[in-house]
Amino acid sequence: MRTVLFLFLAALLPGQALAANQVALANDVFVERISTDAQGKQRILLEEPKVVVPGDRLVFVLNYRNAGAQPADKFVITNPLPAAVRFADAGETRPLVSIDGGRSWGQLDQLTVALNDGTRRAAQPDDVTHIRWAFQKPIPVGGSGKLMFRGVVK
Amino acid sequence: MTSKLNTVGIIGLAAITSLAATPALAAGTTAGTTITNTATVDYQVGGVAQGQQSASNNFTVDRKINLLVEEVGTVTTSVVPGQTNAVTTFQLTNSSNEVLDFALVASQIVGGTASHGGTDTFDASNVRIYRDNTVTGTVGSWDVGDTLLTGFVDELVVDTAIRLFVVADIPTGLANNAVAGVTLRATAREGGTAASQGAAITETAGANTAGKDTVFADIAGVTGDAARDGSHSDNDDYTVQTATLAVTKTSRVISDPFNNTTNPKLIPGAVVEYCIAVANSGSVAATSVVINDAVPAQLLFSAGTILLNGTVTGTTCNADGAAGGSYTAPNVSGTIATIAAGATRTLVFRATVN
Repeated sequence: MRTVLFLFLAALLPGQALAANQVALANDVFVERISTDAQGKQRILLEEPKVVVPGDRLVFVLNYRNAGAQPADKFVITNPLPAAVRFADAGETRPLVSIDGGRSWGQLDQLTVALNDGTRRAAQPDDVTHIRWAFQKPIPVGGSGKLMFRGVVK
Repeated sequence: MTSKLNTVGIIGLAAITSLAATPALAAGTTAGTTITNTATVDYQVGGVAQGQQSASNNFTVDRKINLLVEEVGTVTTSVVPGQTNAVTTFQLTNSSNEVLDFALVASQIVGGTASHGGTDTFDASNVRIYRDNTVTGTVGSWDVGDTLLTGFVDELVVDTAIRLFVVADIPTGLANNAVAGVTLRATAREGGTAASQGAAITETAGANTAGKDTVFADIAGVTGDAARDGSHSDNDDYTVQTATLAVTKTSRVISDPFNNTTNPKLIPGAVVEYCIAVANSGSVAATSVVINDAVPAQLLFSAGTILLNGTVTGTTCNADGAAGGSYTAPNVSGTIATIAAGATRTLVFRATVN
């Protein structure tokens, strides 16, 4: 994998205090494969997405870091799901999700979907269109972290 | 895969939105599709909103070759000796994420246990493969309107199952319960060109390439058809169901001119009753069973004594039945309409000793 940083010069951008307050975000995807060894023990391997076919489980990893000189507040990471990926879970990261293209947000277990007959059903991972992590506390200078979610190639 | 971090404005956001709009397919993402995932960060510094940051990665969905050949129904096809166009039914499903051709081979097993039990003992002839015409004719069953295939299924779309018929002729002279096993094997071939069979497909060996790689994902089929070989197969069989007839002829003296019916003896003038019993030990009924018996020259046929379709008790002829049959010297003949499987029916007549 090749990671390239494109940082615009401050002089090229409008606004103040931008150049001094950069946040770094990296987005990686892995294929989750389960292999069973000779002793019957299962091992979960994360591989680069070299060979990917429908049905494969993907792990998306987002690494963030406050590379600026001041704390970053109201820190919100939004990840629309690619159309060809079905949401599975987000581990322990408890993100907000949207099932309507990003218009409304909530925990998955609190969202419902309207049915044709007027009733509503509980939202399923399949319904998720966007994932969002909204941080309550500022990210301190130099602070970093990792978020993840799983999906399946449709 | 590439990953990049950049600062984007309104124009950049619009571009990302369009990247995420890859159409989803129920059948699985089409091979060659690029999946791009983009995450964005919004944040403030000192109460002032800062420019949005985003990071993306993308990868290409490779080609998964998967197919399924399944026998339809779980019973053998019952046939009779000499039957033409005996049909076994299969279903072929393209579970790959690409439109493909499928080469088809219908073969016959040699010996061994057939799909539904019994040992393979004969081969059917004139084996053909038809594709069900789902528009006209009898949909789901073989009829003359179905398409005779020339060794392959053309351009089978993703996630689609079609019905295939292996049609064969059954030789004559086969015993009841004789079995012929047949195997239908389909092998994925390149699609894309209608009306001609595409090239063979090989799995991508070695490292991933930037483009669309090929992965075989099929399960193992019949013996000799391994998993992940780009082909799949299933067995079915024909079982001969025929009538097996055995004929026995018994006689008894009914009367003579001196003893009458008390301990009659076979002297000239004695009346003899013949019973021709036809037993069907097969598994289906025999119909239009014609019985012929030449009356010996020393006997004189007693007109009007023929009884047809009578029964036996154990091995004893009941000498019952309905009048019928005919006599054209020297032959007594009669036709029994049906002898059910396991049943015995008789023709009875009387004659006088010269």
